[in-house]
Amino acid sequence: MKKRSFDIKWLIIGLIVAFLLIFQVLPILYLVVRSFFPDGSFSLDGFRRIYTYALNWTALKNTVVSAGLAMVFGTLIAFPLAWLVGRTNLYGKKMFRTLFVMTYMVPPYVGAMAWLRLLNPTAGTMNMFLQKVFGLSQAPFDIYTMGGLVWVLTTFYYPFAFITISRAMEKMDPTLEEASRISGASPVKTLFTVTLPTMLPSIVAAGLLVFVAAASCYGIPSIIGAPGKIYTVTTRIFDYVQIGNQEGLTDATVLAVFLMILALIVMYVSTVPVKKKQYITVSGKSMRPNIVDLGKWRIPITIIVGLFALIIVIIPFVTVIMTSFTVNMGKGWSLSNLTTKYWKVIFSRDSIIHSVKNSLISGVLAATLGLIVSCVMAYLLKRTKARGRNIPDFLITVGSGTPSVVIALSLIMTMSGRFGINIYNTMTIMVIAYMIKYMLMGMRTVVSAFSQVSMDLEEVAQISGASWLRRFKDVIGPLILPSIVAGWFLIFMPCFYELTMSNLLYSNSTKTLGVELFTYQTYHSQQTASALATAILLFVIITNFILNKSTKGKFSI
Amino acid sequence: MSTVDLQNIKKSFGDVEVIKSFNATFEDGEFVTLLGPSGCGKTTLLRMVAGFEKPTSGQLCIGGKIMSSDQVFVPPEKRQIGMVFQSYAVWPHMNVFDNIAYPLKIQKMNKQVIKEKTDRVLKVVHLDKYRDRFPSQLSGGQQQRIALGRALVAEPELLLLDEPLSNLDAKLRDSMRYEIKKISKELGITVIFVTHDQTEAMTMSDKIIILNRGVIQQAGAPYEIYHRPVNQFVADFIGKINLIKAHYADEMITVDGTDIRLPHAACKHEHVVLAVRPENIILQKEETNIPAVVDDIYFLGETTDIFLRLGDQVVRCMAESHAYAEYAVGDRVYLRLKDYLVYDDGDTEEQLEIVT
Repeated sequence: MKKRSFDIKWLIIGLIVAFLLIFQVLPILYLVVRSFFPDGSFSLDGFRRIYTYALNWTALKNTVVSAGLAMVFGTLIAFPLAWLVGRTNLYGKKMFRTLFVMTYMVPPYVGAMAWLRLLNPTAGTMNMFLQKVFGLSQAPFDIYTMGGLVWVLTTFYYPFAFITISRAMEKMDPTLEEASRISGASPVKTLFTVTLPTMLPSIVAAGLLVFVAAASCYGIPSIIGAPGKIYTVTTRIFDYVQIGNQEGLTDATVLAVFLMILALIVMYVSTVPVKKKQYITVSGKSMRPNIVDLGKWRIPITIIVGLFALIIVIIPFVTVIMTSFTVNMGKGWSLSNLTTKYWKVIFSRDSIIHSVKNSLISGVLAATLGLIVSCVMAYLLKRTKARGRNIPDFLITVGSGTPSVVIALSLIMTMSGRFGINIYNTMTIMVIAYMIKYMLMGMRTVVSAFSQVSMDLEEVAQISGASWLRRFKDVIGPLILPSIVAGWFLIFMPCFYELTMSNLLYSNSTKTLGVELFTYQTYHSQQTASALATAILLFVIITNFILNKSTKGKFSI
Repeated sequence: MSTVDLQNIKKSFGDVEVIKSFNATFEDGEFVTLLGPSGCGKTTLLRMVAGFEKPTSGQLCIGGKIMSSDQVFVPPEKRQIGMVFQSYAVWPHMNVFDNIAYPLKIQKMNKQVIKEKTDRVLKVVHLDKYRDRFPSQLSGGQQQRIALGRALVAEPELLLLDEPLSNLDAKLRDSMRYEIKKISKELGITVIFVTHDQTEAMTMSDKIIILNRGVIQQAGAPYEIYHRPVNQFVADFIGKINLIKAHYADEMITVDGTDIRLPHAACKHEHVVLAVRPENIILQKEETNIPAVVDDIYFLGETTDIFLRLGDQVVRCMAESHAYAEYAVGDRVYLRLKDYLVYDDGDTEEQLEIVT
């Protein structure tokens, strides 16, 4: 009896490792090999050719600069906000926390769409408003600039830093700050001499997260950068793939490898050395942290934070919603300029409905399969001492940190028949790409739930005669069910509205929502795109709300 | 002057009243321990003195100045108190010297002065050889001494200690107890110490305040609390005690289920509890008016634990080491009580306030 369940375990583990090896490791390795050995022998010609081309060099600079600035500004915004929301008596803390996390839950290209509408130099609504109010002759802001790109990247990726820093702050031992207060330091002095230094490792990690996310982003630079001829590595990769021939693909590969190495270095730096310096902060008594009284600054600061939330979160979202009802993009907002025809379009046009179906199917598949993998991995990591169990864990983690373009490109290069498997232009290749990119979220959720189920509960079942599968079904399963559901959604949602990989991997029959939206935004009708975006937003918000309520607030994005 | 004066301090968290009405004065230079079971409110009181919690009502004065009242609230950084936390709260990103010097740096003292004072404190807490090390390189006991040094460096007149020894191993706890007491006596500062460990309380304090559920049960010197516990809770919480059910009539109490009678002054109720500490029960073979039967006997090395049956009740007696060889289960013996107290039964926990 025991031997059989042992074998099943190994079989499933073997399948997972095989899957990751074939679809994740091999393709990436192929990319690297291909870029260093273009004709079978080692040569840096590919790199030389690519980077002597001025456009690519500029793209590289733009990527590093825009991601770097987004990292700096994003962290500068996130830290004070995390402190104000987590440690002071700011008014409306709960509401602000929800608002600041909102931009994390939605596709980044929605932000690009919104700011395009607000700050385009000719007919941007915010520009026109500011012009009127301040009597300016020209639009004060131009979104089609590096500044515009950095602005949108910052406003959509700072939540990564906000969430990371908030969580670290919650875990921090409050007596460290109290010891400073009793030693005579004011709350602000304590913030700078104790809180900030203690949190530094987490802040650095948060910043690096923003950097990688911004550097790997495709949607925002392609919507905002392209019209102003601001290229980034991700958009250049896309252009090269569009060329369609072997040379184009090779060039794309070379660029992709650069991005991959960048992401790997950042991942390494943010986990290994930072972890060493991560100060163990566990408080013996469960004391709530001492809330800092803002005193006479309470109202002014609340107003400033409120203004910030207005500009960064509310206005963009409202803009997208309004645009979906707008007739003439050049005219301002007025009742006569409103229509519901675009909404009717998105619910009736065949191609859109087809895309929604595709998104649903591929999302469901990716989430379900990804969840099975997550459950098995969680069991492996928390219940066995199997050698090498950290390997799939490591691969899944690397997968999530790999830029989406790189994943898509590597799959294109290797799965179009070169090695006997041809799944190019099928839904399978998209589902695989989604899984590699997004499985990590599901895995982390399930693993954490597992670690909270005591071994004893399982051992009692075992003594009572239950096999491995039976124990999973009767004991572990029910106890971690909320996390399983949450994990499923955490994989499903980003897959549902995904853009970058879908844009590279789709075929006419496997078009997804993200592709549809992108096409409408870039070529046909911003209004239809906005209607789609709003529908996606509503879907995400409602689903997140249900998730939050049904798991009593334990899980939500 | 560092007298601490608490008048009518009440504290509620929402609907839960945690401190019911606390009145106490801690004299200048006194070492006072707040002792009690978990949840009795002792840490909350300490944090109110520190300024991390605001009393719901009442007045708190330190050194004659009002720190907290209905009109005034002085924040922690202005109270000039030293505090040692249970978790030590030593800053990991600063070395030993910087940790201890911090309060002086905040006061913007002259660099030379800071160095002198900090060096002096480093010697006092025996950390002068470690001044450049970082906390992560030091043991728990050493980190505790960093915390102590930091609390003392600004020469406060009041020192607060929140269960500072509970994270240390037994031997270290023992030596730190004496060190803390010695240092505080040398510096002449008022100390408020919070613990749930009665041995700590007994060895270190000038005065112990025993709390239960937010109400003071008794306040007094360790000897007094041990030998004259004012109610059943205190008698039970400190040391071991036998609580024997009895009834009262005509200036005599009779142990329930027996004919054993003891003289006692007037009691309010009929049902009473006879409280005797195990070491106050003397066993002998010669007859007295308290007969008993040996129920169980354990050898503990220094002493012998003997369980004796009186009617339906069993009491525990602490006898000398050799008693183990002299008595056996089933033996009929006689008892002599060196000291005992009588409480009204039903007199279990909630008590009158005692103004110290």
